[in-house]
Amino acid sequence: MFSRAVRPALSVGNAALARSVVPKSAAQAANYATLREIEGRLKSIKNIEKITKTMKIVASTKLTRAQRAMTESRTYGQTANEVFESAETKALDEKKTLMVICSSDKGLCGGIHSGLSRATRRMLTEHPDYDLAIIGEKCKAQLSRSNAKNIVLSFAGVGKDVPTFADAQAIADQICLLPEEYGSVKILYNKFINAQTYEATPIEAFSEEAITQSANFSAFEIDDEVLGNLREYSLANSLFWALAEGHACEQSARRNAMDNASKNAGDMISRFTILFNRTRQAVITGELVEIITGATASAEQ
Amino acid sequence: MAFAWKAAGITYNRYLAIAARVVRRSLKEGPRLQAERRGEMDLRFAKWQNGKQGENKSLGEANASAMAEQAKAE
Repeated sequence: MFSRAVRPALSVGNAALARSVVPKSAAQAANYATLREIEGRLKSIKNIEKITKTMKIVASTKLTRAQRAMTESRTYGQTANEVFESAETKALDEKKTLMVICSSDKGLCGGIHSGLSRATRRMLTEHPDYDLAIIGEKCKAQLSRSNAKNIVLSFAGVGKDVPTFADAQAIADQICLLPEEYGSVKILYNKFINAQTYEATPIEAFSEEAITQSANFSAFEIDDEVLGNLREYSLANSLFWALAEGHACEQSARRNAMDNASKNAGDMISRFTILFNRTRQAVITGELVEIITGATASAEQ
Repeated sequence: MAFAWKAAGITYNRYLAIAARVVRRSLKEGPRLQAERRGEMDLRFAKWQNGKQGENKSLGEANASAMAEQAKAE
């Protein structure tokens, strides 16, 4: 959106503050220019504050919806994974692993996307043969710079609204259609711990082999043909959970980021107003001094 | 046990999505509009090869055509 335009404006504002404070003894004529300059900066910062405040409000309203979706999908996903817990399914190590990274398309939400990318890179240094499927433009851009060779799929168009189960199903289908057989699928998402903390966490989704080889498999009565369906379905379930929780984290992070931005803008506005008033006063004093000196000089003649 | 959708080359998820769509469409006007929003999917995807991004395609269409091909193969 306007991220590129805002950031330089903020840093320029800081620079202007530093610049205009230092040369106090500069020529009087320069004061008029800085006065105008400060006024301009003040105006632009006020606009930025307005925008960030609005974005914060938008994010907070979206957050309540996203959090509700998150708690619902979390219980849903955990219930779906209960089968694998009681069957004590473990991931197979000998086959390839696919990592699905649940980020989104939109930025301006602090470091949650780069947190995911960092976690991915850390895992890739341990297991360099993992394949990547990336959901969302942000992590795609970050990881395509460092690990482009590992990427097999990327999805875009996420993060406009609360993710639906149809999204998760379509992604799961496309992952199932990949030519390579994966021993397990790790879904990396941002776990919502509280409003300030998120942690990149993986959920496992297993392959058919991993399910049949699980320790407690004999306790269940499953036809072989049904197993493939279970695998596809549980992949979609886990993806839905990860997407919903990641979305809630993103909204919460955006709310915090915009809150901080508005606070910083408020600080800058108060500093600039003081500076503006002082400079104006200095200009007036200077003018008065000039007039009085002129008057006394002409009176003496 | 054979499944009709497997014979048609459709994955279980696709089968579920179609079933869900039918249920949503048979709802009354008011709840239907709300429910149909939950079934929307507007994702795009791209395949990557050797560190290069391929063409950006619509996910729904690609899934449908891939399944049609599977149905032909069987």
